[in-house]
Amino acid sequence: MAKTLQERRAERQLMIVLLPSLLLLLAFVIYPAIYSVYLSFTNEALTGAAARAPRFVGWRNYTRLFNDAKFWNALFVTFVFVLGSAIIGQFVLGLVSAIALRRRLVFRTLFSSIILLPNAAPEVVAGFMWISMLAGGDHATLSRIVSFFGLPTADWLQVFPLAMIIVVNTWRGIATAMILLTAGLSTIPQEIYEAARMDGATPAQMFRRITLPLMMPTILLYMLISTVSTIAVFGLVYALTRGGPGGATELISIYIYNQSFTAYQLGYGAAVAVIALLVSLMLGIAYVRAAKVEI
Amino acid sequence: MSVAPPGESANCVRGDLMAYATLSLISIFCAIPFFWLLIASFDGNAQLFLRWPETWTFANYLRVFAKEDGAKWLFNSLFVVGSATFLVMVLSGLGGYALSRTRAWWKLPFLYAILLIRVLPSTALVVPLYKFLLTLNNAEGALLRPIFGSATRDIMRWTGFIDGYLGLILVLATMQLPLSLWIMKTFFDGLPRDYEEAALMDGATMIQRIRRVLVPLALPGLAASGLFAFMSAWGDFLLPLILLSSPELQTLPLGLFRAFLRINEIDYGLLTALAFIYLVPAVVAFGFARRFLVQTFSGGVKG
Repeated sequence: MAKTLQERRAERQLMIVLLPSLLLLLAFVIYPAIYSVYLSFTNEALTGAAARAPRFVGWRNYTRLFNDAKFWNALFVTFVFVLGSAIIGQFVLGLVSAIALRRRLVFRTLFSSIILLPNAAPEVVAGFMWISMLAGGDHATLSRIVSFFGLPTADWLQVFPLAMIIVVNTWRGIATAMILLTAGLSTIPQEIYEAARMDGATPAQMFRRITLPLMMPTILLYMLISTVSTIAVFGLVYALTRGGPGGATELISIYIYNQSFTAYQLGYGAAVAVIALLVSLMLGIAYVRAAKVEI
Repeated sequence: MSVAPPGESANCVRGDLMAYATLSLISIFCAIPFFWLLIASFDGNAQLFLRWPETWTFANYLRVFAKEDGAKWLFNSLFVVGSATFLVMVLSGLGGYALSRTRAWWKLPFLYAILLIRVLPSTALVVPLYKFLLTLNNAEGALLRPIFGSATRDIMRWTGFIDGYLGLILVLATMQLPLSLWIMKTFFDGLPRDYEEAALMDGATMIQRIRRVLVPLALPGLAASGLFAFMSAWGDFLLPLILLSSPELQTLPLGLFRAFLRINEIDYGLLTALAFIYLVPAVVAFGFARRFLVQTFSGGVKG
């Protein structure tokens, strides 16, 4: 295939206009990702002797990791957090909202706007608002709601920290689940429901036999996407609890931050980061393959 | 549409009622946390708890600008996020065009790479990123100090990679690039090549083609790309947390977070007013971006 001179010049120009983006991504994403693998094999620190002359320590950070109860705790907390907020909380409430919003309701736009609102709030503002919601003492909003129903109040973030951050993250992510699942619902042809109704199917039967099976691909993609993005959650939980009390809400992202910038153990922090990178990357590859993304 | 049989319409009404009930409950859950922020920011004696103000006042908002800190944080945020957004729009416009039009071998690998970059959690990247930026920063300092002497710190506040505007702007922009490139690439895919080819026939240069033909055509795409970059950069907390330490450089999320940690002397009126000011641009941008949300979430990986 002989390319004309003009075509080759055009190709070169295209390469040149893409170059700045490529350089930035190489410098601030690709290089750090590779560099973190290197760092994870050193005893690099932020201060002290190790900061001046870091040494290569082989697999020591990784063996330490596997014997570190706090690392397993962070993995466990992250797992419960993802399961509770992304897989169950956001999914169920998002699906319910998406199905309910398919009806021609009077306040449809109002409802969907309100559900989108938490997603628009910056992480710190969201954390800030929930500190007020969940504060100890009888005046906090949640305590008032709970005591209205005659139930005992508590210092919510101290007594049920993990459950509370799951509630908060569910609150924040209903919208994304709703949007994705609405897109999936709209691909199901209305005629199928008509036919089922003719045959006397109940709404529950239609949901189980039609909606769920036909939505399966969308649901699977949603699960992958939301798992990846929930693993990356940092600011929302950090602003609320900073990982406490006693590591009860120390997500893997917060653990990396604390190890690196509070304990100054960059090498060890990098080893934890490499694990998080690998898990996310595998989920990402699964997503790209499952979604058959058109390029 | 035919008229539904009586049994059906009763069913339909019951379904509608159930939909209203569940949507109302979910909406209350979504809206409740905002009440405190909104009401306390107008309360003359704001507390951590939701309460009906005895006196309604604008004083909290006035204090944001009278007390220097709040206004400074707002300026820093606007400047840093504004610059990053502008940079993203320029780079993603050019890069998206290249990705859409090229037939070179690197097209597919590049596109797969930016899809996968989007799944990397930024918390896992910040450690090496911090080290790398520190090295760049020290090199820049060593280069500038012999020339500018004691003025170096003032210059580095703008051009430094750690604790300087430039570093934060570049990194914030880079983090938004994958999604924005993707949006612009998809957008240009939908634009016919006829216009450019006509311009090319007329002997227009690359620059002329971009300015006269592509920029006007690409404005809707650029708006989407800019909106998403703005929203994500505006809400970001991790990067300023790691890259900034000087009080005079603090952005809104950082200032709010640190002010809130000073448990004993929290001025809730001021902070809620500031948080509300911080919230408004995000909500407005989200409102504009709403119609792009579906395509973006289902097209790439959610950000």
